[in-house]
Amino acid sequence: MKDCKSYSVAPPLADIALRNIWNLDMALDVNTRTETVELLSREADCLKHKLEEERKKLNDVTLANVAERLEEVTFLNIKPRRLLKGNQAKMLCCDWSPDKRHIVSSSQDGKLLIWDAFTSAKEQTVTMPTTWVMACAYSPSGNLVACGGLDNKVTVFNISNPEEDPSAKKKTVGTHTNFMSCCLFPNSDQQILTGSGDATAALWDVESGQMLQSFHGHTGDIMSIDLSPSEIGNTFISGSCDKMLLLWDMRTGQSVQSFEGHLSDINSVKYHPSGDAVASGSDDSTCRMYDLRADKEVAVYSKESILFGVNSIDFSVSGRILFGGYTDYTINAWDSLKCERVSLLYGHENRVTSIKLSPDGTALASASWDASLRVWA
Amino acid sequence: MDMMISNLQQQRQITEQLRREAAVKRIPVSQAIQDIIKYIREREMEDCLMVGFSSQKANPFREKSSCAVI
Repeated sequence: MKDCKSYSVAPPLADIALRNIWNLDMALDVNTRTETVELLSREADCLKHKLEEERKKLNDVTLANVAERLEEVTFLNIKPRRLLKGNQAKMLCCDWSPDKRHIVSSSQDGKLLIWDAFTSAKEQTVTMPTTWVMACAYSPSGNLVACGGLDNKVTVFNISNPEEDPSAKKKTVGTHTNFMSCCLFPNSDQQILTGSGDATAALWDVESGQMLQSFHGHTGDIMSIDLSPSEIGNTFISGSCDKMLLLWDMRTGQSVQSFEGHLSDINSVKYHPSGDAVASGSDDSTCRMYDLRADKEVAVYSKESILFGVNSIDFSVSGRILFGGYTDYTINAWDSLKCERVSLLYGHENRVTSIKLSPDGTALASASWDASLRVWA
Repeated sequence: MDMMISNLQQQRQITEQLRREAAVKRIPVSQAIQDIIKYIREREMEDCLMVGFSSQKANPFREKSSCAVI
């Protein structure tokens, strides 16, 4: 995945057009208002100071201290249950079908595979006209899968009829100006949310292919997005190579909150199942958790012996366990409250690129550069 | 001039973002943590990856019991 980050492109056309409009707008402003860089930056400094003070004031305890009195999570009863062997190509992403049985995977050779995780059988294969398909996702109905990567596009396939070639019903929904790193269907089959190496996220209408909203704010490649689990589901988070985690309002397109702390690229972000906290995994070999209502980092999950980056994270169904897939071929399971590692899942023979909890929380799927998927339960 | 304008625009974006963030209502960390712990404690006993399954049959990924013929 790292190899893709260095792919650079010209600034997005839409951006240039927007900037021109702003320039006009600015020219007017310069005459009418006395908004200067100095004034604005002085205000920014004041606001930063105020934010820092406020966060400090509310930082009355630490999570690890409060959690000390809780019982420890004893040995996790998780075993490797299935090995799904691909076509010798690096697996880059996986996602569970809402039926809790099928898994879609995407790989470096451009193959999209649909698996029956119960029987370990490959059911459908789609060949994409590109390599490095970095993202794939099931729609809520289970009828569609979206995917994309170095082709900068998000493409949708209808896989509802196993007798039919999915390529026959293929649709390009959106195009970014750099690789597409992540995608998901927010709440319905009608829309897709994507994140890209062009530092933006975008919401697309599946039917018309129109961009409904774009999200500008990151200054580096977006590597991961996740949708709020709350019923309204109008917010999402994004993690980027600019080391920031941003929280977005999907309706306005504005970022509402930002979290920093990581020392390197953020590769993965995930909402806590409560919806009140979010977590991230980074190349700095740590995972972190932030509380949205306290507006603050509340936990760091790290160990001196862990030196390699975190590529993908997910929570167990209660939120007590935070799983991380690492570049050192392992999956670490953290007690999210006590901030201690409770288990280490060995099995993969190369970097773990993507891990996903099944929709009912009974199993964890992992994808790896060793060209396989594994199911743990 | 273009440079100045883009600087101004950039600074304005930064300041506007900070204004929005400053307007966010915050609660003490202690309270936030209590709520997270409460949420988790109420669901831990049904977290299969933590506590396992009530019976192995409930696990859809269990190994099929093989009949060994001796």
